[in-house]
Amino acid sequence: MDFDDTPDEAAWRSQVRAFLQEHRSELGERTGRRELDDQVARRRQALLYDGGLVGVTWPTEAGGRGGTPMQQAIVDQEMARAGVPGLINLIGIGMCGPTVIHHGSEDQRARYLQRLLRAEDVWCQLFSEPASGSDLAALRTKAVRTEDGSWRISGQKVWTTLAHVADYGILLTRTDPDVAKHRGLTMFVVDMKAPGVTVRPLRQMSGSADFNEVFFDDVVVPDSERLGDVGDGWRVALTTLMSERLSLGGGGTEIGASAASVIEHVAAHLDALPEGRQALARQQLGRSYVGALANRYTGYRLLSQISKGEMPGPEASAGKLSGTQVARDLADLAVRVLGDDAAYAATADGSSGWQELQAVLPGMAIAGGTNEVLRNIIGERVLGLPAEPRADKGVTFKESLA
Amino acid sequence: MNFDLDDEQRDLAAAARDFLSGAAAPGDARAALDDGAPVRPGRAALVESGFATITVPEDAGGGGGSVLDLAVVAEQAGRVLAGPSLVTYARAAVLFAGDGDRLAALADGSLSLAVVDGGPTLDAAGAERFLALRGDDVVLAAGRATVRDAIDPTRGLGNVELDTNDLQVVAADARSRWQHAERVGRVVLAAEGLGAASRALEIGVEYAQQRLAFGRAIGSYQAVKHSLVDVYVQVEQLRSLVWWAAWAADQAPDELPLAAAAAKAASATTLEQAAETLVQVHGGIGFTWEHDAHLFWRRAKVDRFLLGDDVDAYDEVARLAVAQVSA
Repeated sequence: MDFDDTPDEAAWRSQVRAFLQEHRSELGERTGRRELDDQVARRRQALLYDGGLVGVTWPTEAGGRGGTPMQQAIVDQEMARAGVPGLINLIGIGMCGPTVIHHGSEDQRARYLQRLLRAEDVWCQLFSEPASGSDLAALRTKAVRTEDGSWRISGQKVWTTLAHVADYGILLTRTDPDVAKHRGLTMFVVDMKAPGVTVRPLRQMSGSADFNEVFFDDVVVPDSERLGDVGDGWRVALTTLMSERLSLGGGGTEIGASAASVIEHVAAHLDALPEGRQALARQQLGRSYVGALANRYTGYRLLSQISKGEMPGPEASAGKLSGTQVARDLADLAVRVLGDDAAYAATADGSSGWQELQAVLPGMAIAGGTNEVLRNIIGERVLGLPAEPRADKGVTFKESLA
Repeated sequence: MNFDLDDEQRDLAAAARDFLSGAAAPGDARAALDDGAPVRPGRAALVESGFATITVPEDAGGGGGSVLDLAVVAEQAGRVLAGPSLVTYARAAVLFAGDGDRLAALADGSLSLAVVDGGPTLDAAGAERFLALRGDDVVLAAGRATVRDAIDPTRGLGNVELDTNDLQVVAADARSRWQHAERVGRVVLAAEGLGAASRALEIGVEYAQQRLAFGRAIGSYQAVKHSLVDVYVQVEQLRSLVWWAAWAADQAPDELPLAAAAAKAASATTLEQAAETLVQVHGGIGFTWEHDAHLFWRRAKVDRFLLGDDVDAYDEVARLAVAQVSA
């Protein structure tokens, strides 16, 4: 048992670190700013791509490095350590791109993949709908084949992160309502600037607007933009979702604020609290920090698996469950120790970071798989507990609406 | 990065499981409560197996292994609620470091010990000599143990009065050694808690798979399924902390205070939740005397107070964290 890099990993780490150091000022800082400047973010990702730090695990023919998940984890760690902001095309890299790699035509792969990695195109994932969130396969957005072989698409998607700046999206549609709901789906690549696509930003409870609702009114999509076979969209979507699981909440990276930054903040405020409150604050800090440490070392177990070339299974979902909980506990304490300022949107000297964080975190337990869905996955696929009965089993999609 | 057990440790775990599942069972705790049956496997069998004294050097007749090795075994001991605790042997091995004769007596079973912290003493029952801190000296003394009605008889708790006329200094000016032994003890206690919690989870899952209500297995209901999943997540998190803390005891003494406190605290919380969940998942049978659920619950209700309670351990984690950033 050890926590050391192998010689190869150490060499890669120092290469990554050197690049980040050399370009430190160009890469910008992580800020609490609400508005995303997507042009700056695109340029940053292009710089990182040209330095070999984006698409590490993607095959070389897709524009990637053909590297290992461990090398990707090292890039993530070093980016976090250096305080470099995250990639704008994270969803593209983690979910859309792998779907195109697995199910796209040669032509699609050539047109899209490298541009995605350089953030020349930003991508979004058009899955959830107003009437189908966790129950994704119940979606209603309709794609109908026209006489010339192209498709006309109508419907509405929602909670679509980055749709307001995106160039392309992967879009899951219903092409056959007369079969069981999982069977009648088909996936497409859609041009977000095409006529009939309307994007409306949705403001979140934190006040920022990172996600959107997207309307499709008779949007024409050529058949060459189909991903996978007609009616095979569910299997294609599973590729996307499996890739998502691997890109969320694993490897010991922290969700929300780092435990270290919360400890520093709490330490600075602790002495100002009445004695009894100090003891309570220490209990809360102790409990949430034990959770943070447990997440970190559980993440190291995952990384060790990855380092040996094994792929984590459904148990990796536990990292998002516990990670979001710890992040919320830490943020709650960070706000509490502000004293009277804790009830205001910002402290008297104008800083609002902790208050904003506490408003962002409830959504983290929903986005990318709700806590309840993750618990079902672990319960059924790790513990072997029986699945829930489904009321729409054995009926066609159309019948399930009746 | 290789934060995983190696093949030898997996083999060790399998061998320990073989031995312990034959030598003890949760039901033994009930027999001890019912009619004072002896705790199993008991001191003699534990020592004879060699598992108890894994951390004693080989030239003193021990296993010459690491704290991590012992933690791997302790997890297996926790699964069957074995007694006495490997914590006692782990602490004694640290406190006797360099003292070949006493280590040999520990390893051959001629020395039956408990380690006294003040308050209820773990494994006081059946102990003939007692290790304690007097001033800054570690001493080995005769004494009298008053064993009182037990919540968990496998822990052999009692109040100990030392006989100061029959007392030898084991190590003078050895407060830091005492603290180190206590921390190693916390790691091993957490490992026993890990085993008990993961076994409690398994029993709960098995029952939820087969028990039917309203025409289907209760484990298909989210209320039941999710409470078991929450225990699973906690158990795996505890496993990570136990491995880290054991590794720190062997390889990174600077990290041990934080790691041992975190493991101790998490173990108390996790075992309590696992045991409470085990009772609840079983419904009516879950709170009967004849079912094993309460035996795990009893272990949880006692272990949380050993080697400092969970509240102390969480407080220590917070103090260490704050001290780290202030330094």
